[in-house]
Amino acid sequence: MSKKVLLLAVAVLFGSQAGLAMAANPDTGPGCGLGKLAWGEYKGQKEIAPQVLQATTNGTFGSQTFGISFGTSGCTNDGKVMSEHKTTMFASLNFEALSAEMAQGQGEHLASLATLMGVPAERHAAFFALTQERYTSLVQAGEASPVALVKSLNDAIEGHPVLAQASVR
Amino acid sequence: MLVFLFALLACLFVPSPSNALQSDPGVYLTQLIEQAQEKKLAEQREWQLLLHYRKGLFGGYESEQDDPGFFLSSNGKTDPSAELAATLAQFFSAELVGRSRQPAQCAFIARYHWLKEQLQFDPTRLPALSCERFDRWYEDFEAQSISLIFPSAFLNNPASMFGHTLFRVDQNGQTEQTRILAYTINYAADVPPDAGLAYPVRGIFGSYKGYFSTIPYYLKVQQYRDIENRDIWEYRLNLTENQLRRFLMHAWELGNAYFDYFFFKENCSYHILALLDYADPGLHLTDEFIGWTVPADTIRLVVSKPNLVSDITYRPSRSTVIKRKRESLPSAERDLAHRMTQDLGELTSPAFTRLVPAKQAFLLDLASDYLRYRIETTDSSKPEWKERNRTVLTTRSQLRIPSEEFTVRPFAKQPELGHKTSRAVIGGGWRNNDTFEEATVRGGYHDLLDPEVGYTPDAQIEMASITVRRYNRADQTRVERATLLNLLSLSPIDSVFHAPSWKLNVGMNTIRHNDCQLCSNGLFNAGIGGAKELRLLNREVLFAFVETEANISKAYHEMHRIGGGGTIGLLADLTERWKLMATGSYLKFPLGDKSDDFRWYVGSRFTLAQNWTVRLEYNHRDRDNDVLFSVQAFF
Repeated sequence: MSKKVLLLAVAVLFGSQAGLAMAANPDTGPGCGLGKLAWGEYKGQKEIAPQVLQATTNGTFGSQTFGISFGTSGCTNDGKVMSEHKTTMFASLNFEALSAEMAQGQGEHLASLATLMGVPAERHAAFFALTQERYTSLVQAGEASPVALVKSLNDAIEGHPVLAQASVR
Repeated sequence: MLVFLFALLACLFVPSPSNALQSDPGVYLTQLIEQAQEKKLAEQREWQLLLHYRKGLFGGYESEQDDPGFFLSSNGKTDPSAELAATLAQFFSAELVGRSRQPAQCAFIARYHWLKEQLQFDPTRLPALSCERFDRWYEDFEAQSISLIFPSAFLNNPASMFGHTLFRVDQNGQTEQTRILAYTINYAADVPPDAGLAYPVRGIFGSYKGYFSTIPYYLKVQQYRDIENRDIWEYRLNLTENQLRRFLMHAWELGNAYFDYFFFKENCSYHILALLDYADPGLHLTDEFIGWTVPADTIRLVVSKPNLVSDITYRPSRSTVIKRKRESLPSAERDLAHRMTQDLGELTSPAFTRLVPAKQAFLLDLASDYLRYRIETTDSSKPEWKERNRTVLTTRSQLRIPSEEFTVRPFAKQPELGHKTSRAVIGGGWRNNDTFEEATVRGGYHDLLDPEVGYTPDAQIEMASITVRRYNRADQTRVERATLLNLLSLSPIDSVFHAPSWKLNVGMNTIRHNDCQLCSNGLFNAGIGGAKELRLLNREVLFAFVETEANISKAYHEMHRIGGGGTIGLLADLTERWKLMATGSYLKFPLGDKSDDFRWYVGSRFTLAQNWTVRLEYNHRDRDNDVLFSVQAFF
């Protein structure tokens, strides 16, 4: 399923970004905590045979409070997304929704991404218009990697007369 | 016990001889334990909630928590006082305890704060440790309030047949647009990926472990709204700042500990309620559930508490959005949007380009919704769908206008407006040349003729039902019908939605066959088919199944028969309160007792009130005719 490939891609991405030797185990992916991939294994509702939402564990319950198995790339031991990964993880896990909303010039995923990137609420409309205008190049960047998408967005914001004034993280 | 504790403490704190007796932690601990005994803290509701103790049938206590790492005393699971004493003792130590390897003050931070408040810990004699892990975790929530989230039932997955509940920790400054960034607190069974058919069995008997997790809400929305196409209801709760803090502190304690997961009672909905119970011990939520916990019942209960719910939000599934958007269009535009998903040439056709930009945007958005629906719900989605979606979106981006807000009304109202989940029925009627009275009790949950308000439309789940009937002329009282499980899911098919309909029934009934007038008959029936929605009068669903059936009864030669056949039927809303169902079946049984069956059924239900209905039903099977008038009460 395409989702899974995406997750794996992201896992590898974060792993290499952080320069950590992370096993690219298809059963682990971004998102923090047990059951994070509750839907990763799920094959879709068209299947009639009993389907089970599967929480995926990769065994060791160490000293985490929440969850397991993803400590090295993007998650804290306590089931939270590390703050420096919040934007990239969001961009990668919601890429399909984001690309639709960029084309549509509005939407909650796009507003959330803007918030994560530090665009103040009163400038969201300008941000939305910008993403609609640059749709093709942003989606191309996003298909390469979520990091590239976020970077393209940051570059576009810096070159934008209104948005550049906003403090951008 | 105390001797043991002192021995333990002696190892941890070696008092220097110059210290006054006052500063000896052992002495202070003894004082605290005595105080706790005087105040009977171990019997207080808060302590019981923190440790998840339940009173046993024959007195005594047992904790529902099953992880030994959750207790600091080896008898902690069954002895609240010993656990309390051991907890106090451990608070003097920085030793790492529990599964999460933290000092006891941090690992069991809700217990620490409650006991500190009750016993007024002297900070010079029992110094407070800093809990950086907890602080970071807590601050990262930026918690402002809690919402109870209900993704509605999804019949095609046994794990979510009854819906699900989880919490969302709403953030400070969160808007309607950014609430997907909030974390959730979710409790679920840890089921291995290859569980298959073992899942229902092991799930029922508690052989999986259930854990809490904090998954970002955007992933949950993706799972429920986009992949499974379940509507989501969000209930914002009114908690005070202090209650919110208690809620999260207790969630922290439960993070890495497990409960044995029981599908019917100690399930997702039950254990998350325990967090609310501790946040506000006056609520008494978990006490209400004895035999089983149905997620919709927990919503009903939470909503019934005065001033607990401040706001209810509806988040439609993608399939609901598509259906509502289509309804809003004239049929020519509806067809155009659908053609656009199949032939990109339509994007440059005059039929499309002469529309005003806002309308073009609406149709492109709908076309993209279709394509994403297909991509997400199909096992091996075709690459060209993705490419087409990309082209549709690129065209959309060139319009340079934001999509207008489109308000989606739900097809199923919110769950707390629905009937309760257990049902009692009394009725009477005629069968052939006899009269009867009967009574039925059904454990759960909803059948096609029950009032549909608050329930997934066209879906039936009946479990654990038994009917006792008294025949007057035959002077006989017997178990007339019993149902172990009777599932039926109708999924109307159209140009976008292609899911099949299916049914499964395991139970017994009473038949007239060969020479036997009233004979018990075990039955198994399973079928697959399709459904079609019509809007002739109000709303009608036509359906057809091919099916297979096996029967066991002493009425048959060789005690059994096996065969197959088909059913056609109609389900119609005549008015808001009045619903009609009619089915006709033909089944042929080539194995065992060689025979065949013609069956007809016509049933009609009228809703008197949320939890009261009446029905008139006619059942025909060969030369066997049965008319039943009945009154249903939901409880």
